[in-house]
Amino acid sequence: MGRYDFRPMRVRQTAKALFDARRNDSLPQWYNIIGDIPPSETLARPLQRAPTTKKARKPSRMFQPLPIAYPEDKLRSEFFGDHPWELARPRIIVEDSGNDAKHYDWSNIVQPGKQLDGESVVQRQMWLMKHRAMSKPMAYDVARREFYFHRHREDIRRRVAQEEALYVGAYFGKGPMEIGMELEDRTWEGWKRWAREQLDDEEAARAQLFSAAPSTESTALEGEEFEAALEEVQSSVPQSKAGQPALGGAAIHP
Amino acid sequence: MIIRSVARAGRRALVQTSSQPWRRFLATQTDTIETTAENSFKQFHSLEAQFNATAPPQEAVPSFDPAAASAPASAHVTDSVAEQYHRFKQSQALIGKLGSYITPHYQPHTLLSNPPSPADVTLELLLASEAHQGHATSLWNPANARYIHGIRQGVHIISLEATAAHLRRAAKVVQEVSRRGGLVLFVGTRDGQDRAVARASELAKGYHLFERWIPGSITNGQQILSKCRTKVVNGKDEEIPGFEEQLMERPVLRPDLVVCMNPLENYVLLHECALNNIPTIGVIDTNADPTWVTYPIPANDDSLRCIQVIAGVLGRAGEAGQKQRLELAETGRVTYRPADNLVLPEALQEKTVAAAEPGAEMDLDESLEDADELADKLDMANNREMSNHAARAIKKID
Repeated sequence: MGRYDFRPMRVRQTAKALFDARRNDSLPQWYNIIGDIPPSETLARPLQRAPTTKKARKPSRMFQPLPIAYPEDKLRSEFFGDHPWELARPRIIVEDSGNDAKHYDWSNIVQPGKQLDGESVVQRQMWLMKHRAMSKPMAYDVARREFYFHRHREDIRRRVAQEEALYVGAYFGKGPMEIGMELEDRTWEGWKRWAREQLDDEEAARAQLFSAAPSTESTALEGEEFEAALEEVQSSVPQSKAGQPALGGAAIHP
Repeated sequence: MIIRSVARAGRRALVQTSSQPWRRFLATQTDTIETTAENSFKQFHSLEAQFNATAPPQEAVPSFDPAAASAPASAHVTDSVAEQYHRFKQSQALIGKLGSYITPHYQPHTLLSNPPSPADVTLELLLASEAHQGHATSLWNPANARYIHGIRQGVHIISLEATAAHLRRAAKVVQEVSRRGGLVLFVGTRDGQDRAVARASELAKGYHLFERWIPGSITNGQQILSKCRTKVVNGKDEEIPGFEEQLMERPVLRPDLVVCMNPLENYVLLHECALNNIPTIGVIDTNADPTWVTYPIPANDDSLRCIQVIAGVLGRAGEAGQKQRLELAETGRVTYRPADNLVLPEALQEKTVAAAEPGAEMDLDESLEDADELADKLDMANNREMSNHAARAIKKID
């Protein structure tokens, strides 16, 4: 075939052909090994979906892998739909031996060696439906309430631990209130700067319109500022080689 | 998750150990770990010399020594710091874990220090090693359809039965090639695969590569690898000197089997092997091409744990093959066809002509055997090439 390169698969046949044609003096030493342990079949497409006689199915779809579905999937989507923030909790997916799930006994919702998770709720629900003959909504409620009890207890423990730590002198990083206040302060300062700029622009625009009327407000310099202004020398000189920077249009130089 | 539970026999065990004299209890331990203690002693000698020089000799700081507490005091008066520390470590190993029982859990370092063997390969081990995780369904190579179990959460799941079967087949090939004295090259160029690949080659007495494969090392080997040292070894892997001139004229060596942990990045290497008729083994993910290698192992090449398991299994298989080969070599039988066109240097010829045996048994078919009877009788050699890549950790031999 054109697109495929079968040379890796055909090493043994190639070795035999080269030996028969006397290109090589001897067969390679792995010749018998590969003869005893042949490579597996390649490029075989197993039929995944049974062909139906109702209507003509596309042949390409028949060889594609099928999705794997479990009855717990529906329960999972229901639970995480009702408790979306449970998805934000970190999950440990490292397994020890691969047989971890074999030793779980879902007569309790808490299993040694497993996090209390949405998964435990779903498994507990399945167990109740199977062994206690509960209906699905009933089992969901029972499992859910056990789950809430344990989460509430965790929260109490966390709060008490924080209080104890503060009492004996621990200090923590910034809490959400403090971080929120800092962000607000930063936004406020930025807004003030922007507002100041807007006001300055408006004043300048107004000053342009009424060019004849000098304002008698706080534009007059006093004391030190006045003397400093007198000493100030402008850097640009008219009619010089360097030239003068552009300082505005016709309105400023009437 | 690691679970510590209170050991039920903890108190009783503690009572038992403390009732026996410490000296006798510890003496049996020292015999078994004496060799490792020697190394630590050497380290501590210098430390001890410094300590004894600076501190006043008679007013040593009293340290609590559980061994000294119950044993007669006269025996421990002259113990040095090193010995006290050693005894402390021993007693800690004995009674440190009393009172709690830690359930068996996954310890990552054991995959490298004590890898599983082909007999230990189970579907549960492969599942825990994440060998079943394939890539997103849109990235697949349809040639791998046979190895895929199904689709879950938008990714293909590799069938672990296929993985286990192909892994055992590849392990058998590695074992047989090692038994026949072939050159096995383990290649893994991704980040983190270096330790697995080096450990596998150490077990199988093969060669490893964890840096980039230099293109042309096989097809243009005479140019690229000409500076590498070659040596002549006998059936027991002992080097025989005196072949330097003959080795200079010989062509550069090529591996007999290449095991690749990431074929997607090493296409050039696998293509060169195909051009030169070298069988290959490769870890084939759902987006890789299974026709690039002779023996595909459908598994997840993105998981380091999976690669460590596969490399460990193949390394152990190679170790078993090498053990068989060396056991046969002890009895005088050589499992491979020795190198041809090698003549013994004169110095050895007189000795060996006198002690020549009728012929070493060969484990090959008669139709394939070379007519080099002289080499057979004198129990000669095989070239072993120290490849440039393998010698990175070792000084270059000029």
